[in-house]
Order: sequence, then C-alpha cells, then structure tokens
Amino acid sequence: MQQRIVKSKVTGGIIVSKLEIQNISMTYHTKEGETSALSDINLKVEDGEFITIIGPSGCGKSTLLSIFAGLIEPSNGKILIDDKEIKYPCSQIGYMLQRDHLFEWRTIYKNIIIGLEIQNKLDKDSIENVENMMKKYGLSSFKNYYPHQLSGGMRQRAALIRTLALNPEVLLLDEPFSALDYQTRLAVSDEIYCIIKNECKTAIMVSHDIAEAISLSDKIVVLTKRPGTVKSIHDINLEIENRTPLKAREAPKFREYFNTLWKELDVHVE
Amino acid sequence: MSNEPYSKEHQEYLKKAKNRKTAIIITQILILVIFFVQWEITAKLKIVDPFLVSQPSRIIKSLVKIYNEGTLFRHIWVTCYETIVGFVVGTLLGILIATILWWSDFICKVLDPYLVVLNALPKIALGPIIIFWAGNNQNSIIIIALMISLVVTIISVLSGFQEVDEDKIKLLKTFGANKFQILRYVVFPASIPTMISALKINVGLSWVGVIVGEFLVAQEGLGFLIVFGGQVAQLDMVMMSILILSLVAYLMYEVVALFEKKFVKWKS
Repeated sequence: MQQRIVKSKVTGGIIVSKLEIQNISMTYHTKEGETSALSDINLKVEDGEFITIIGPSGCGKSTLLSIFAGLIEPSNGKILIDDKEIKYPCSQIGYMLQRDHLFEWRTIYKNIIIGLEIQNKLDKDSIENVENMMKKYGLSSFKNYYPHQLSGGMRQRAALIRTLALNPEVLLLDEPFSALDYQTRLAVSDEIYCIIKNECKTAIMVSHDIAEAISLSDKIVVLTKRPGTVKSIHDINLEIENRTPLKAREAPKFREYFNTLWKELDVHVE
Repeated sequence: MSNEPYSKEHQEYLKKAKNRKTAIIITQILILVIFFVQWEITAKLKIVDPFLVSQPSRIIKSLVKIYNEGTLFRHIWVTCYETIVGFVVGTLLGILIATILWWSDFICKVLDPYLVVLNALPKIALGPIIIFWAGNNQNSIIIIALMISLVVTIISVLSGFQEVDEDKIKLLKTFGANKFQILRYVVFPASIPTMISALKINVGLSWVGVIVGEFLVAQEGLGFLIVFGGQVAQLDMVMMSILILSLVAYLMYEVVALFEKKFVKWKS
C-alpha cells in the first residue's frame, strides 16, 4: 500500500480528517443464514477530497455507502465527521442515487426543494441559495418544467442541486452516472465534477468503472471480494493542470493507473 | 416553432390526421343513426315484434309521458345520487384502508386471506343481509354499490402503493423523512394514476351495484323503472331507461376522465 501524504486541516495541532470510518463491519441476516458483506473497513477522507470506492461486484460497496448515509445500521464500527460520531439523520451528508429519481409529478424547482421541505428548512435564505445554484448551473429557465421535458444531463444536474440544497459537507455518490449512455455519461460526469469542486464538497463515490474512477478521483479505494475489506488505496496524481474528468482521460499517467487498478481488481471472467 | 410556417409536407400531414379524426367521428355517428333507423323501420314493418324489442318512436313517447308526469329527472337523479355516493365513499374508504395496510405490514399480512375471500365473493349475494341490516331503503342500495367497489379499490390501490419505486423512498429517507412524509411526498402522489384508474373501474362497478340494489328494494330510480317496466310488460319503458342509463354512465365516465387529465398533467 502506498504511503500517502495527508493534507488534512490542522486543528490545534491534531490532524483531523473530514470523515473517518472505523472498523465498519456488516452482516446480513436472512432465513437461509447470515452473510458477511463487509469486514473491518477503515478509511480516512480529507476535506475537499474526491474518493472513489471500487471493487468486484457484490463486494458490498453500495452497502458501505448506505451505511454512510445512515440507511442501514452497521453490525459494528462507527463513522466520524470532524472527529465527532455521526448521529442520523445527518444533514452533513448528502446522497445521490444511481438514477436521478426526480419526481415526475413535481416541477424541477419543486423537486429541488423537496429535501428542504422535508426538513422544514424552506426559508428565504435557502430559497435564495437554491435559485442561485439553479442560475449558476443553467436550470433557471427550466424551473417550471416537468422532469420528462429535460435531458438526462439536466436531470442529473437537478438531482445534484437537490442534494446540495441541504448544504451537506460530504456527498455520497452511488454510481451516479450508470443510468446514462456513454457520451452523456462523459459530459455529465464532467459537469457534476465541476459543480462538486466549485462548491468545495468532499465526495465519496462508488463505481465499478475503473476509467471513470480515475478520471474523477483524488484517491481510489479498492475493496476485496465479499466480505469486502480495504485491499489497497491509490492516490491519483495525473500531473495535469486544471483537471477535469475529460482532460484526465487524456493524461499520460491515466493508462498507467488503469493497468495498476485492473490488476489490483483481479478480474476473472469465469 | 409555432410562429414559423409549417412546411408543405407537414401541413399535409396535419390535414391527413385531421381528416382521419373526422372520418372516425362521422362513422361513429353513422352507426348510431343507422341502428336506430333500421330499428324503427323493421319494427314498423313488423319484421321484428315491437312488443318484444320496442321501437325508437315508442321509446320517445314513453319518455315524453314520464317527463309530463314530472318524474323523469327524479328517477335519473336518484340513481345518479346513489351511484356517486356509492363510488365516492367506496373509493375514499378503499384508499383509507389501503393506506392503513401500507402503513402496517403486520395488519396487511394478517388481513391478506380475508381480502382474497372478500374479493372472490360476489357482493350481490350479501344483498338480502344488507337489506335486513340497513332497511328497505336507499341506504341499502348505496351500501351494495359501495361494497362492490370497496374491495377492488383496496386491492388495486394497495398494490399501487407497494409498487412505488423503493429508490424514491430511499431518497426521501436520506433526507430524514418519516413515514408520514414518505406517504405524503412520494407514495400518495406516485399512486394518483392508480387511484384514478381505480376510480374509473369503480364508476362502472357502482352502476352495477346501484341497479341491482334498485332491482331489490327501490321505489324510484332507473333500475326501478327497468324492473317495473319488465313486470308490467312495458318494454318501451325498459328500453328508455336503459338508453338513459347508458348516456348517464357514459357522461359520468367522461367526468372521471376529465379529472384524470387535470391531475396527471405531468404525464406525457
């Protein structure tokens, strides 16, 4: 495992990670028996970092994300944000699912404010914040449109703003582009990446796409087969300026990382 | 787009589409006219027996007679009232019960076999019992209509609730939504199309309930006219009532369809 240089913010001399995962384990219980999905996961995520978790299918990456989001309670372990244990529901964490899941019966604006409505945070400031974001990311003129009238990319942007409306510090992305076709996917991941960086959010993404992972992340965590545990962590340094996912794909080191991770994942077609 | 002039090809396409629509409507009206005209003529020429099949001119006579007696609209109104109350209450109660079953998985599992039995049972069989309990009056008719639509509503609305995308619920959970909020923000609105299709089915079912109810107990209403006409061998009256019934049932269905347009405008 590579030794990484921690660029954490220093609070009173103690280095504090934005998000820290300690000894997370998860066991599923069904009538047929119990399955250990995750075992003893430890991870530190720094402020503003974009990390991607990859692993063979069924290794429990989505389960891990659901645990971060507080949708499932882990059998063991704890999660700290700014050195404090999280209590759910946690407004510091925002979650983006595989598909945009905009509600067809609500207009784009109404979709974006749904989180605020649920948490009773719909006030002047939050509305202004949402309207600014819609303006900044080109959705203002589609405010009163229904989701089916928008393109896949716009829908995904609307879904991201819906998450950002609650002003989370850490974003969880569960294969956020997997429902899009390849071209749209490249364009949308570029857009989403820029928005996340622009808003200075820490992001944890789950993906099974090695190229996508390299193009977006500062750090890639590889999980082993079930029960998933951290196999290795790779810092991605593509040595390019003004990095965007599309540019990253052209970087000379891209292929190198790809080969390393490909071997690491140890994919067999059985 | 709209202020630009269309190309010739597009204009032709629009014209064709319009012509086709007109052709369909004209044919529909034509079928109706031909049906009544041949009915009148064959009855007049005694090819069919007007005593058994009635005749349009006799039906109109019968209509005028009842109208002059001043009871026509009373009969129509009574039947409509029973149907509307039956299906509105049936639908609302059905949705309410479906909501309770959605809320509590335990109750849902417990009641499942009972619902299946109730659904399989022809509700008309309960007619005599209902008349005993609710009295020989309009209440019985409404209850019969309600019973017929209730179980169907519960089953179809509940399955609508359960088919709501799990990920949409998950999304709301990540926002920290409680069960009531999940119901209000996703389960209910996502199921509105299901509820309206239940409404559409219920209009038809309630008519069945009301007419059967009127056969059993009524002193007035279209169902009563049909049964009474049959008993006194007045086929004109029976045919007239059936025609009015078809018309009113059609209108009521259209009202529900209008309702659907208003509430699911986000679709398509």
